[in-house]
Amino acid sequence: MQLRFTVRSGVWAALYLFFVLGPLFVLLADRLPPARSFWTEFAAAIGYSGLAMMGLQFGLTARFRYVTEPWGEDVIYHFHRQISQVAVGLVAAHALIMLAHRPDLFVVPRSIAEVPWGAVFAFLALFALIALVVTALWRAELGIRYETWHAAHIALAVVAVAGGLLHMVGWAFYLTDPWKRALWIGLTIFWIGLLFYVRIVKPLFQLRRPYRVAEVRKERGDTTTLAMQPEDHPGFRFRPGQFGWLTVWASPFRITGHPFSFSSSAEATDGRVEMSIRNLGDFTRRIPEVSVGQRVYLDGPYGAFTIGNPADMHVLIAGGVGITPMMSMIRTLADRGDRRPVILLYGSKDRDSITFREELEALKSRLDLKVVHVLPDPPAGWTGEKGYIDAEMFKRHLPPPYADHEYFICGPGPMMDAIEKALGELGVPLAKYHSERYSFV
Amino acid sequence: MRRVFANWLVLGTAVVVIMMSVLFALLRVTP
Repeated sequence: MQLRFTVRSGVWAALYLFFVLGPLFVLLADRLPPARSFWTEFAAAIGYSGLAMMGLQFGLTARFRYVTEPWGEDVIYHFHRQISQVAVGLVAAHALIMLAHRPDLFVVPRSIAEVPWGAVFAFLALFALIALVVTALWRAELGIRYETWHAAHIALAVVAVAGGLLHMVGWAFYLTDPWKRALWIGLTIFWIGLLFYVRIVKPLFQLRRPYRVAEVRKERGDTTTLAMQPEDHPGFRFRPGQFGWLTVWASPFRITGHPFSFSSSAEATDGRVEMSIRNLGDFTRRIPEVSVGQRVYLDGPYGAFTIGNPADMHVLIAGGVGITPMMSMIRTLADRGDRRPVILLYGSKDRDSITFREELEALKSRLDLKVVHVLPDPPAGWTGEKGYIDAEMFKRHLPPPYADHEYFICGPGPMMDAIEKALGELGVPLAKYHSERYSFV
Repeated sequence: MRRVFANWLVLGTAVVVIMMSVLFALLRVTP
């Protein structure tokens, strides 16, 4: 399974490069305009590549399960954010090199009417791109609400990519051949069409497959579990550890969805799914107001954070609400009658906020489950661990050889960084541990 | 750790794209 995923991720990385560079090198086929200087041609090439990369950004966030599965959604979004800076860098370098080597192209005409429209779209695309990256990197610092930013992000991305294409068509240096022009216009329509697919086609399907809230359960740690039942359709099957996008109090066409892990057993055959959501002060603070019978929409399942690889035992490491995907794994393993040991290292703020504390105790009778609770400041008489999960704690509770176990980590960013480092110190290979960051959007 | 891998992938992509753009320009200017 691991090998298959490695091969698939390699194939997708190669395809990504093909879609960036293929349309560029196609420009060399057939009739060619007279060559210009090296730097002018280089600037043209990075301009085309930058635009292709911007277009592919629509594909990265189009929630194609087959594409995202080998990597994990959080890594895809991380790549989306990082590669956008490379694309903007290429486009900005394209403009700067052109300015340095062809200043004649930048002479301001006497009247606005004389400005070639290819140049107008160049500036429009460049400014949209800069606004796109600045608002994405410093949204919180700029005080922009997430929902407002998301809508503006989509609009700016469409303006940037469409503006970039119109600049190329307007300039008409390489795109004079009708088939080359058709290829680049077709590609751009395809990229923006992916947005249409995610925002219109997928929500249309979801609209026909709604869910009803069957139960609202209060859990420890300011957490609420929503149990949802498909309404007149079979629902979907998920693998434990995966997540879905939840829409409450709105239609599936609403731009901003909210990703949450499933916390229920993946063995349920009636399509019922549960999400356990902690009040983190944002959209989640209203979850306890959800009423039984309310209609909601689910888009899923997604994510590569799931059991299924060969392992002698499962080691689950959870911090706070990172327990939800682990709960799904534990409940599923119990339902399957799995005999392999499961060790859960579970960090919480205090004893009262240990979500699923009682159920975890009860599950020990159905599974070879060992739970190690970790509190930073435990009360008197505490028998669990004190402090934060580290390599020493692993050595106290896990039997060697450490590299034979399968590790799953979910929690706040700093905790995950520390644990990934600790596992590295214990010689656990990268392929043996899985992590999912729950704040990836 | 997978994010570190993704960072290398971003860096690798940037390097490949720049190298290929150099190749594109060389192919154009080479008679």
